[in-house]
Amino acid sequence: MTEAIYPQVRIVSARFLRPDTVEQLLNRLVRIGGILRMSLTGQNLPATVPYGPARGKPNPHPDRKVIRVGDQDVQLQVQVGTVILELEDESYIPAIEEAVDEVFADKDFSCTVQKGRFMKTTPTVSDYAKYGPDADREILGLVDPRKKGGPVIIQGNK
Amino acid sequence: MNEVKENMAYKPQYGPGTSNVAANRRKQMDPNQKLEKMRDVTDEDIVLILGHRAPGAAYPTAHPPLAEQQEPDCPIRKIVTPTEGAKAGDRVRYIQFADSMFFAPCQPYQRTYTECYRFRGIDPGTLSGRQIVECRERDLEKYSKELIETELLDPARTGIRGATVHGHSLRLAENGMMFDMLQRSVLGEDGIVRYVKNQIGEPLDRAVAVGKPLDEKWLKAHTTIFHSLGGTAYRDDKEYVEYVQRIHTLRTKYGFLPKEA
Repeated sequence: MTEAIYPQVRIVSARFLRPDTVEQLLNRLVRIGGILRMSLTGQNLPATVPYGPARGKPNPHPDRKVIRVGDQDVQLQVQVGTVILELEDESYIPAIEEAVDEVFADKDFSCTVQKGRFMKTTPTVSDYAKYGPDADREILGLVDPRKKGGPVIIQGNK
Repeated sequence: MNEVKENMAYKPQYGPGTSNVAANRRKQMDPNQKLEKMRDVTDEDIVLILGHRAPGAAYPTAHPPLAEQQEPDCPIRKIVTPTEGAKAGDRVRYIQFADSMFFAPCQPYQRTYTECYRFRGIDPGTLSGRQIVECRERDLEKYSKELIETELLDPARTGIRGATVHGHSLRLAENGMMFDMLQRSVLGEDGIVRYVKNQIGEPLDRAVAVGKPLDEKWLKAHTTIFHSLGGTAYRDDKEYVEYVQRIHTLRTKYGFLPKEA
């Protein structure tokens, strides 16, 4: 959950991104600073085949990689299509737009930065039923709060 | 292969429409038109992608060959010539395709129509994002070869996916490949797409090359998908819309015994 006062932006590319492009983009964004929370969304890349006759067998996928963002290693679990950011204030938005333009300048597809509300502000009845009253409100609405392994914390911007 | 009989009372039209997309659809459906061959894939490669039997292994059977068993006295069996697979008593196996909405050369409904006009002894299943066709194993291999080698397949925008087909309506990847959770086919540095897993996602012993992805211009010229963004919009093909509206009206009024004016 989030306080409604914080502005949010969503970075949407016309294509799904390769891990090295994600790495490049995120490192560029991290350098701008002012980011409170960040969520990478896209299609799930499971570690094992989820269904079908080969269910349970390992699923080696070239895009399920560990990337380095700032001083942290991040295990990608999705094919990144959208990056959602929560910012300290609106003054960071022009710098983010500039960074996105810079990263996607040599690509043959476009990428847009949208302003709006992209993270949940209040838990729903379904959230309460699924996760109970003590679910971590910081990540509720972004990922499954029951998931093992918390968020990656990237420090050193201040 | 089916062929339209010369002495038929009417000439099949295959489909309405004046647009390029409609013409492509008719071309694929018409068994008298030869589909353009785009790539060479060996029989062994097909067997590997399908993953139903080991290459070189004998065809497992579901029943004894027809020649060795007593057939009931049935008038239909006298009319219909069995296919090679049925004659030998092969198992029924499948191939399934997912076609990207970004101008793939074929799409589920189109595949079913095309296969029904062109192949014998098949059981196609059509879904929104995937199309499966079942038939006797050795017939399947023959048909699959045609489906894979001809213009019905684009290595990047068409996926041969037995399970976990998700991806037809998603954005493409950066390199132009359709999203595949199991990454069965990989675009190599040399620009050639290779299948590294069979259609259900089991890794193959060796990669199977299916050639280079076709370029955007070719895809837009050969697609059978109407697309208002960047392609031919459905509503621009007046004849197609008129035909669909007519069918819709007639079947809605069916209960009232419609008579066309």
